[in-house]
Amino acid sequence: MIDLSNSRILGKKKKKKTTTTYHFTRLSPTLMAPQLLSSRTFKSLFDSVDTFLFDCDGVIWKGETLIDGVSQTLDLIRSKGKNVVFVTNNSVKSRRQYAEKFRSLGLSSVTQDEIFSSSFAAAMYLKVNNFPKDKKVYVIGGEGVLEELQIAGFTGLGGPEDGEKKAQWKSNCLFEHDKSVGAVVVGLDPNINYYKLQYGTLCVRENPGCLFIATNRDAVGHMTDLQEWPGAGCMVAAMCGSTEREPIVVGKPSTFMMDFLLQKFGTDSSRMCMVGDRLDTDILFGQNAGCKTLLVLTGVTSESDLLEKGNKIEPDYYTRTVSDITKLMDSPSK
Amino acid sequence: MLSRSVASAVSQVSSSTSSLLPNSKQLFSFKTLSGYRSSSFCGGSIRKINHKPLRMTSSSMTPRAMASKQLENADQLIDSVETFIFDCDGVIWKGDKLIEGVPETLDMLRAKGKRLVFVTNNSTKSRKQYGKKFETLGLNVNEEEIFASSFAAAAYLQSINFPKDKKVYVIGEEGILKELELAGFQYLGGPDDGKKQIELKPGFLMEHEHDVGAVVVGFDRYFNYYKIQYGTLCIRENPGCLFIATNRDAVTHLTDAQEWAGGGSMVGALVGSTQREPLVVGKPSTFMMDYLADKFGIQKSQICMVGDRLDTDILFGQNGGCKTLLVLSGVTSISMLESPDNKIQPDFYTSKISDFLSPKAATV
Repeated sequence: MIDLSNSRILGKKKKKKTTTTYHFTRLSPTLMAPQLLSSRTFKSLFDSVDTFLFDCDGVIWKGETLIDGVSQTLDLIRSKGKNVVFVTNNSVKSRRQYAEKFRSLGLSSVTQDEIFSSSFAAAMYLKVNNFPKDKKVYVIGGEGVLEELQIAGFTGLGGPEDGEKKAQWKSNCLFEHDKSVGAVVVGLDPNINYYKLQYGTLCVRENPGCLFIATNRDAVGHMTDLQEWPGAGCMVAAMCGSTEREPIVVGKPSTFMMDFLLQKFGTDSSRMCMVGDRLDTDILFGQNAGCKTLLVLTGVTSESDLLEKGNKIEPDYYTRTVSDITKLMDSPSK
Repeated sequence: MLSRSVASAVSQVSSSTSSLLPNSKQLFSFKTLSGYRSSSFCGGSIRKINHKPLRMTSSSMTPRAMASKQLENADQLIDSVETFIFDCDGVIWKGDKLIEGVPETLDMLRAKGKRLVFVTNNSTKSRKQYGKKFETLGLNVNEEEIFASSFAAAAYLQSINFPKDKKVYVIGEEGILKELELAGFQYLGGPDDGKKQIELKPGFLMEHEHDVGAVVVGFDRYFNYYKIQYGTLCIRENPGCLFIATNRDAVTHLTDAQEWAGGGSMVGALVGSTQREPLVVGKPSTFMMDYLADKFGIQKSQICMVGDRLDTDILFGQNGGCKTLLVLSGVTSISMLESPDNKIQPDFYTSKISDFLSPKAATV
């Protein structure tokens, strides 16, 4: 059993020697162990990328609370000539609504077209696959998805207002559903209820060729600053349970969004670094797309989660928080 | 506490299969069986290895099981078994409507000295409430002959000596609450939590009771985010908290006119947020079969399971080592049975149970 008693000190630069010893004992033939970001490794990372992709929940903010030092760090990165974009699986808001959130948190330099939310991804998936405009989309999720669908020219049904609806189950009473629904999009929905599950289930099971699209499958997330809450993975799994089908996933770790990002910057994904808090979405997305990956510990993943034996997803680097970038940028490299 | 094989079934975390509950050592005297797998969401299924010479053995890797035969000689089947286990939805009734010919069929079987048992995955009612439903429909059925998955959840907790000072959080309907109460367990949640709203705002913390030792999830028409979060917190944060599913049926016939999203949906939601697989007490887990076989002293080879659903009823019967008869009066059609994607072949199939009344071939 590997002695992890030193793991607590891995966050502090001065104990690097112990860190190195620990990493050597953990190196497996196939996987390189994640390296704690140091001023030396940071310099080499920073120089090798042109674009930083940031996840939002647990990286930039927690709920409605900005994480310390993020604002200065983003400004610093931009001032060094690097691009900054945001790739979030949270589908409750549209890109426009996210830009507003950034503004309300004092990050007014972030523009809408630097934000790639899974709500946007769902609409784009339908667009690139020529989803017919005469078909409708049933949404189990927030306003964000409906807005992105509308911008892309599609007709959305459902969304938050179906949170008020109740099903009736009497003999001779049929639960109706729109037969022209050609896709059901499922994302994070804190207003989930039986009506929506039933509506979506009937569409997927009974409308021929109906698509079942998931914005993402995150199990939990920091919807508030104080604790984790069930994520879209919950609503999607509910629909898998009743439809007996697996969805098309457009958000991380699917690399669907990467095509849009590459188009925007015209660079190779190897010149990008994905910064996130979740191994099975952010880091896996980065790895699948061929980017460098940096895990931060301000979100859902703790250091022990990262370093435990059962974990198979190892980012290139990890650090405590995004603002470590500011500290490392200023410190002399060894 | 849990026997080893149950513990190992619990530790299996697979995205596409649930841990089916083998019989518990505490309550029953026969050997503990290794964990069975239910069919995955994508339709594949794995049958228990069956040593009876007449049936093909086992897994989805072997050549396709012998095709099901249309029931031609009902008398022969009836004479070959001592007990009939009937599913309810789609076999006895559809919603609140009795299926044609059911009362006469049940009377005929009783007259022939057969024991009748009713095993349903529907956890909305308790056994007592089901007894009333049978009575309302004019059927002569005793509460003691009914085994609903609501009862199974409470019986399972009894079988593992779930401590009476621990609580059970329920995502489900009244039936589960009533059975837990009868068994002497403390519970929280149920339909009332369907009225609770949450507001995701800064500084808001949802508290949960730390003495919840089990979360039971079943079909729930009052499902909401509050309940999902409560259940998730209990499972993730209370050490040793059990995650029990009454059943995982994808759809159910709540009304006779159409299908409705079933318990598999609510259970799926909790699997999605906890990333844990539940212990399933309802079909196709053999927990209820083992319980009633022990209770009534029946040999499994003397049982015929009659149901309308392949991946719960028929798989339940096969896992238990009984004969199996599929009826087409419920969710399964002949084309679904004969589809090349279907790996579950009952011994026999027929259109409805009243076909028993015509001893020779009934047309399907």
